Amino acid sequence: MSPETIGLVGMVILFVLLGLRIPVAFAMFAVGFVGNMILNSPQAAMSQLASDAFSLAASAELVVVPLFILMGNVATETGMSRKLYDAAYAWIGALRGGLASATVFACGGFAALSGSSVASALTIGRVSLSEMDRFNYDNRLSTGVVAAGGTLGILIPPSTGFVIYALLTQESIGRLFLAGVLPGLLLLTMFILTIQIITWLKPEMGPKGPKTTFAEKLRSTTGAAPILLVIVLTIGGIYTGVFSPGEAAAVGAGLVMLFGVLQRQLTFAKFWKAARESVVTTATVMLILISAYMIKTFLALSHIPQALGAYLETLAIPVLGVLAIMLAIYLILGCFLEGFAMMVLSMPIFFPVVQQLGIDPIWFGVLVVLTLEMGLISPPVGLNVFIVKSVAPNVSLGRMFRGVAPFWVAMLITLIILVAFPQISLILPNTMIN
Amino acid sequence: MLSKLNKGADWLIRLSALIGTVGLVVEVAVILVDVIGRFFGSPLRGAQDLTQMGMVIIVFGGMALCDKLNGHVNVDLFEGSMPRWMIRAGDIASTLIGIAIFAGIAWTTWSSISLMRFQLGVVQKTNIIDLQFDWFKGAIIVLCLITVIGMIFKLIAQVFGPATLEETA
Repeated sequence: MSPETIGLVGMVILFVLLGLRIPVAFAMFAVGFVGNMILNSPQAAMSQLASDAFSLAASAELVVVPLFILMGNVATETGMSRKLYDAAYAWIGALRGGLASATVFACGGFAALSGSSVASALTIGRVSLSEMDRFNYDNRLSTGVVAAGGTLGILIPPSTGFVIYALLTQESIGRLFLAGVLPGLLLLTMFILTIQIITWLKPEMGPKGPKTTFAEKLRSTTGAAPILLVIVLTIGGIYTGVFSPGEAAAVGAGLVMLFGVLQRQLTFAKFWKAARESVVTTATVMLILISAYMIKTFLALSHIPQALGAYLETLAIPVLGVLAIMLAIYLILGCFLEGFAMMVLSMPIFFPVVQQLGIDPIWFGVLVVLTLEMGLISPPVGLNVFIVKSVAPNVSLGRMFRGVAPFWVAMLITLIILVAFPQISLILPNTMIN
Repeated sequence: MLSKLNKGADWLIRLSALIGTVGLVVEVAVILVDVIGRFFGSPLRGAQDLTQMGMVIIVFGGMALCDKLNGHVNVDLFEGSMPRWMIRAGDIASTLIGIAIFAGIAWTTWSSISLMRFQLGVVQKTNIIDLQFDWFKGAIIVLCLITVIGMIFKLIAQVFGPATLEETA
């Protein structure tokens, strides 16, 4: 059998294992390891296992993973999400669709603390859905906005999606984080515009909330000030080169803990819970990465990425056409596969093609992460929609998916804008200091 | 007897998670001390070494608890249309693969220590404060074996647990 055939058989087995609910990391590991044994040698596969397990776990770059997860978990435990929502609510809650817009702002702010879409949707959903219910918001809009707003978690830095992408492609985590800032803000703006259009067409879907006095606005903003300080320090620190991403994560986690203690919101029990959950999440992510390295080697040995690249060259499709095909594949796969799984499975195949075609890898990373976000709200397995369902069990999934549809369209438009104007993604990383 | 062993395995899993969690707290402290120290002109010597090796403890410390909590990502798209026996078979296969993976990591890591230290006489160390890699590779072996023990008990529960009784009944 040729290496290409072995590679294809391996991929088929991989998808069968995934269909049987074998954890993604285990399935990739098994296929990658056995494939390496066949295409290289058992000794080489064993030696790669020992070296990858240790070198990936001891990677200085990966320090960002547990530390940013810890920062988000501590922020959740100390109720910082509530303060973000309160601040946004005070300023724009009285506008038409204002509570929904406040939810998007709170999601964006929380995204800059947590790096996880699921955490953003869950945390902000708990705070905002009851408020929107109280002011008779249509539950399609209220649940849709939480599910969509939550997706900002993996685009706005810190983002675990970017960390995984960086490790799979050997790109700089700091540059990717910065590349996500402006697209994240653009997406946030698109969500707000979507809410405005929806409530302009059907005002009853998002009535105005209560008016607040200037003193209340000021008080709520002061309450959210520590969070804004953490965000500015971490992202600003990376941009100015004062901190490496790992140091920024530690400083952010330290500050969030400090504010939690000062505000008497962080007990030892809460801190311990947050730290323990961070360790477990880190283990999940790291095992996926170790497995991704196994399958990456297997695919490289099978020559499938090279064959795919050569095939695409013979088709004489322009680079943008190839990019569009890849993104379309991601959009389709996103309907069926979990985001991380999709990225680690596809990157060993797609990334060599991206390099071959001279596509900027940082820009490509932003586009891929955005398509992963779209997968989070696409039926039938839109994870964020299921997360919102757990917070709003009385709303049917059908209504939720209908509610999220306009936001999916807004994301598609954002994707097109980002494809048309790569500078939006690249200006910050290209001007970053150090 | 089995329940006592199970409790013992749970204790080991909790211990492993405790080690990982303490590792994370130490990691945060080391980086903060280094950053603050750097601001005052005296960064922590060997902070990078400690951070890197600390990551090994964090990553593998959480593996056993992660598996116990079923924290690994899987695709459950077809779960609704799968017969119960197939779901169970998938669960058992997952645990078996998991045991093979972690036993494999432990074994290959041991082989690497044995090759470098005992056959070639090379002691690999970090660059600045000479932390020996073998200590941390040893930690990987121990933490992987704890994960394997936890998985073996999970496997026993999957094979002989209530689901089997229900099905045969």
